[in-house]
Amino acid sequence: MTRLFLLVAALFTAGPVSAAEPIPVVADKVNQKLVKLFGAGGFRSVTNYGTGILISADGYILTVASQLLDTTDIVVHLYDGRRMKASVVVVEPELDCAIVKIHAEGKKPDEPTGLDLPHFDLIAAAKQPPAKPDDWVLAFSNCFDIAERDEAMTVQRGVIAAHTKLQGRRGIFDFPFHGDVYVVDAITNNPGAGGGALTDRSGRLLGIVGREIKNRLSDTWMNYAIPVNGSVTIKDGDKEVTLSIPEFVAKGMAGAYKPVKRTEAANGPGGYHGIRFVPNVIERTPPYVEDVFPGTPAEKAGLRTNDLISFVDGEPIVSIKAFNEYIKKTKPGDTIRLEVRRGDNLTTIDLKLENYPPKKAPPKTETSPDPVKK
Amino acid sequence: MTRPRSNRVRRWVCLAAAAAVPAALVAVPAWAPAADDAVRSAEAARVAVIAKVSPAVVCVCSYGGGVVGSGILISPDGYVLTNYHVAESISPVMQGGLNDGKLYDGVIVGQDKVGDVALFKLLPKKDGSPFSFVPLGDSDKTKAGDWSMAMGNPFGLSLDFTPTVTFGLVSGINRFQPPEGKGMLEYTDCIQIETSINPGNSGGPLFNMAGELIGINGRGSFEKRGRVNSGVGYAISINQIKNFLGLLKAGVDADHATLGATVGSASEDGDLSVMTVKQVLDDPPSDAFRRGIQAGDQVISFAGRPMTSVNQYKNVLGIYPKDWRLPIAYRRDNARKETLVRLMGHMDKEVNESDAAPKPPTPPRPQRPDPLAQKAKLSPAMKLFKEKKGFANYYFNELERDRLLAGFRTGGDFSSLTGPWTIIGQADRGDRKGDIQFRIENDEKGQTVVTLRFADVVDKLVPLDATNNASQLKLPIGSGGLLVAMYEYRRLLVLGPKGFEGGFYHAGVEPFYPPPPQGMPAENLAALRVDCEVVRARHAAIETKFYFSKSDQTLLGFETFPVKDDDPCEVYFSDYRPENGRKLPHRLDVYYSGKRYGVFSVAGYKLDQK
Repeated sequence: MTRLFLLVAALFTAGPVSAAEPIPVVADKVNQKLVKLFGAGGFRSVTNYGTGILISADGYILTVASQLLDTTDIVVHLYDGRRMKASVVVVEPELDCAIVKIHAEGKKPDEPTGLDLPHFDLIAAAKQPPAKPDDWVLAFSNCFDIAERDEAMTVQRGVIAAHTKLQGRRGIFDFPFHGDVYVVDAITNNPGAGGGALTDRSGRLLGIVGREIKNRLSDTWMNYAIPVNGSVTIKDGDKEVTLSIPEFVAKGMAGAYKPVKRTEAANGPGGYHGIRFVPNVIERTPPYVEDVFPGTPAEKAGLRTNDLISFVDGEPIVSIKAFNEYIKKTKPGDTIRLEVRRGDNLTTIDLKLENYPPKKAPPKTETSPDPVKK
Repeated sequence: MTRPRSNRVRRWVCLAAAAAVPAALVAVPAWAPAADDAVRSAEAARVAVIAKVSPAVVCVCSYGGGVVGSGILISPDGYVLTNYHVAESISPVMQGGLNDGKLYDGVIVGQDKVGDVALFKLLPKKDGSPFSFVPLGDSDKTKAGDWSMAMGNPFGLSLDFTPTVTFGLVSGINRFQPPEGKGMLEYTDCIQIETSINPGNSGGPLFNMAGELIGINGRGSFEKRGRVNSGVGYAISINQIKNFLGLLKAGVDADHATLGATVGSASEDGDLSVMTVKQVLDDPPSDAFRRGIQAGDQVISFAGRPMTSVNQYKNVLGIYPKDWRLPIAYRRDNARKETLVRLMGHMDKEVNESDAAPKPPTPPRPQRPDPLAQKAKLSPAMKLFKEKKGFANYYFNELERDRLLAGFRTGGDFSSLTGPWTIIGQADRGDRKGDIQFRIENDEKGQTVVTLRFADVVDKLVPLDATNNASQLKLPIGSGGLLVAMYEYRRLLVLGPKGFEGGFYHAGVEPFYPPPPQGMPAENLAALRVDCEVVRARHAAIETKFYFSKSDQTLLGFETFPVKDDDPCEVYFSDYRPENGRKLPHRLDVYYSGKRYGVFSVAGYKLDQK
């Protein structure tokens, strides 16, 4: 019993407790550089509140690119209780970040605000060495909309568990940011926490608290922050471009940032496969093949009735819905690799997607010729 | 997710922890981060604190049944704080498991449904043997970023009642969490923690690192995450509980307060949040209305705390019981004003409405005998339980009341003095001064008559005469009912509880504001505050609140409400001196409606037996 206590007590001594300022003092300083954001949302589980980081004295704010910003009516509460209007300057979905600017009362949006607010120097913070796994961190946010006006942000403490790239896997979780992130062992990413600050023990800015992300397979939630020097390399047409938070912030505050044109929206029907599944009657109907239409990629690849599609391109697929979602992100000519359960065996099948047949196809099931059965 | 280096450190930490006992293991491996002395001493201090407070942590169980929550012993005679939502399902008798591995029988004492607090009393195995307990801290000193420890029995994990300890930061203070259903379980001015609390932690203690109790854990923010730790938990502040402790110990089903006026942000668009009075309840008139508070007044501070947001206003209001008198400072036309306002009940409305329209009796349902309930009836703790409307356990009200009266009676026994009472002295009514004589006696019909002779003016009243109108009951004019008040005072001294057929019960502890000799000041009223034990007494239609010193049970004053929905006549006693072996006040300051009616200096008491 004594050992248990000792253990529990000792777990947290790993962090440096000496020299540094007391946490309440650090918390108070950081709190002054953060804002509560209020905007669009407020129904179901879509929150209309969030957090932002002041990155300039005159009221530029860095936050996550959430639906909260989809309004012209953004309201900011400063640490001292002042309530001010704000608007979005620029959003970069690839960085999952947005810059918002406070409007001073009685001044035009493009006029200097005349504000002199406590703020983080993000560009300088990004030049500091990144945090390492095991480093002690503090997280600040207005999670659950607990605070309003001059009430202080929630402060939490944790340890950097990893500094790594997270593989967003469709159907499990679609990760909004594809660069390296800090994974934190504390439950920092609650509703409204997005856009909050991750700092070190002395209040130095390390990252921007991310969104709420749930792994639908394990029912667990991910707690992460985008590093202040976070970057992501994407395809812009034919060439590769690297986007970074410091560049986004520098250009964004100067009014010179142009969001990258995202490659063609992946919302089309995707490639054509020619599988007819069993009737999709429940939310998670397993993707059992009912038929394959003759002459389609499915028939060519050798899929059969009663095959159960278990993985696509290495990702677990649990339902017809998940399969369809995945297919939407493909295009004709792509080859997808299926892992199919057939009887007691797992069979690997490569399926080359094609263009959808002309309008009349796929034929209605009632009038279709008997599917080929093998 | 992966934690490449954390395993290594954790392993080292485990070693270091275990090493606190066997000295040979203290040697730190060469690769380990340097742990300086501060770390070691912080750890040692923590270990010592946990060892010290653990015996006071209670695993709250239903009688003969399973774990329902946690609790904490706060006195050697077995008083245990827990959540109301824990106590609710198991009252009136329960069992508490301590870390000696034993179950103790316990009984509900008091409850606060709105604040989600309940008080139990555990019975020692041997009469009089003391329990371990923890000291109450000062939660106003707690700051966001302070370390804290939660203890209790989450998930009912511990079968031998050894408490689970979790450790983390205080994430925020002065938090407001709205009620969960029917206006109950409202967490005002509470402490937000990241310290992990889970089902079963409810009612358990939150400690600061000195091992002082700073809160009772009870709620979390969960939304879609299920009812397990989400990194955002809440503890009821111990300073709120201290305000209610007098009521809880007196077995009361305590109620929270409303101001009798609504307060909100002056304007949503204001740069700084200004709180103004929106509406004042005038029918029936609230005390705020009678104190002259008006819509549009800017509330500067309430109970000594500045008002900056709706949350803060709800926070401050939420930590006080109904009927408390607290200072409110407000601004009107650039003038700052301060007054004491009596708070109204939070649940009064519900209770009154249900009283007004009695529900049709529900047909008796055939009940299957519940073996646990049958067993619970046999608990020795049932001897300490008395049911009564308005009380969680009336047994404890009688206990507290009798203890208070026993202390009060050491000042003198007046029970034989049933004859006429004459009090002579001088009155100072500002512009008029002169001799006075109070006389309380029975007339030939057996009715009590009270007379006050001041110079050549005589006021006379038969308090129980049913034909009295409001202005007669408030005689002498301007006093708010001093004649009735003196009648009530004599009843208390001579008859005690028997003189108050409408009820005579302990009403916990309330602030009392005895005015200084030069009169009630215009500001800084909080400086006058003395917390007193209160008895509420009802005789005929007259309600009186008696205020006793907490230290020696001297009667410091009382308030009599001869007319409903009107201010009381306030009498403040001082200059206690012996008269025939009995201690009696020789200075009476009488106030009504915020104004001094007069000061009476008593030259002598003549209290007759027949």
